Amino acid sequence: MSTFLAVLWKDLLTEWRSRDRVVAMLVFSALVVVVFHFALPGGATAAARAYAPGLLWVAYVFTALIGLGRAFAVELENDALAGLALAPAERGWIFLGKWAANVAILGVVQAATALVFGVVFEIDLAAVALPFAGVAALGNAGLCAIGTLAGAVAVRTRFRELMLPLLVLPLLWPVLSGAVRATAELLATGRLPFEPIHLLLVADAAYLILSFVTFEYVLDE
Amino acid sequence: MTIRVSGAIALGVCALWAWAVWQAPVDAMQGPIQKILYVHVPCAIGAYLGFLTTALCGALYLRSGRERWDRLAIAAAEVGVVFCSLNIASGPIWARGTWGHWWAWDPRLTVTLLLWFIYLAYLLLRAFTEGSERTARFAAVYGLLGALAVPLNYFAIRLFGSAAMHPDNLQRGSLGEGMGLPFALGLLAAGTGYVFLLLLRFDLEGQRVALARALAAERSS
Repeated sequence: MSTFLAVLWKDLLTEWRSRDRVVAMLVFSALVVVVFHFALPGGATAAARAYAPGLLWVAYVFTALIGLGRAFAVELENDALAGLALAPAERGWIFLGKWAANVAILGVVQAATALVFGVVFEIDLAAVALPFAGVAALGNAGLCAIGTLAGAVAVRTRFRELMLPLLVLPLLWPVLSGAVRATAELLATGRLPFEPIHLLLVADAAYLILSFVTFEYVLDE
Repeated sequence: MTIRVSGAIALGVCALWAWAVWQAPVDAMQGPIQKILYVHVPCAIGAYLGFLTTALCGALYLRSGRERWDRLAIAAAEVGVVFCSLNIASGPIWARGTWGHWWAWDPRLTVTLLLWFIYLAYLLLRAFTEGSERTARFAAVYGLLGALAVPLNYFAIRLFGSAAMHPDNLQRGSLGEGMGLPFALGLLAAGTGYVFLLLLRFDLEGQRVALARALAAERSS
């Protein structure tokens, strides 16, 4: 447990001091909205509101991939990754610490991106703020579970920037499907649907448990 | 010797299967194109066998560290991808002839496509990772995560509903008269063909590893 808190604190403190990852992710997610505006036939306006839940999650996923790639890349400097691997601690807790830091950083970006989406697509997110935050957090947890494990793998490969999305995107579908369906129904009816939330919970639990158990084999000296 | 025997068995079963498919009655509604069933489903079974073997051998490798499990895992992944490619290629031909569409995003089709991408990513991960021991570890972890999609694929219709093209799994009596034998022989052909290809690729991987070691020893001497 102390390992978990130490890794979480280290990652959050490093990010607080430099703020480079959050800033880059925020700028990227805003740019994605601009890209959507040019990609959609009628632009990213209230007319395209029906697509907003899917587009919002596409923005979250691409932004997360940018951030997750950096989470372990920074550990390569001064060979800090080897230090983490040599630490006399259960590696699963190191994974959880990195995961929680990624969740926190992506959470900040998610909130800001949601605000931009709310303004651009004219969606009253304030009315469903709390349940939406819950859906975003569940999606975030699953996305970061796969992303943190895949990030630790990809960072040790050639073409690591290319490898991360290749590893993450095919595994992401239960999380993405649950999150998009839950968001769409929440925005349409104001209520949280059971089935997509159930899918999200099961996918999050499965990916978190498997990643916790197998992280031991991913870190190497 | 084992490879030759398994090859001869597979060849014999495939000849019987081809004969049975030729003799099978023509479907009253769909016409001869329905006979793709006898190729399409066995290929899916071959893909399941490949991906589950990959995950199992990956887990055994992580547990024991014995290289032969890793060799079996890569052999199974490649054979699984070949079967899955044939499955994905044969489906649209059948769909176009019967329903008039090449593609429909029904749950089983979608999950099968994702399975194919997961194990393509698995093969790319192996290609882009340096060091045989690290490659084996990373691949084993990813293969385990990817195998979560196999049961989801098998039960896709029950879990996600919407049987647009794919029915729920076959049960006794769901095939027409005279269709059971070619179908069963198709499954047997996929099974024996799978074993033959697996052994062949396993042997090839052994030769590749031995050659790489011999070359490394020659360079260092």
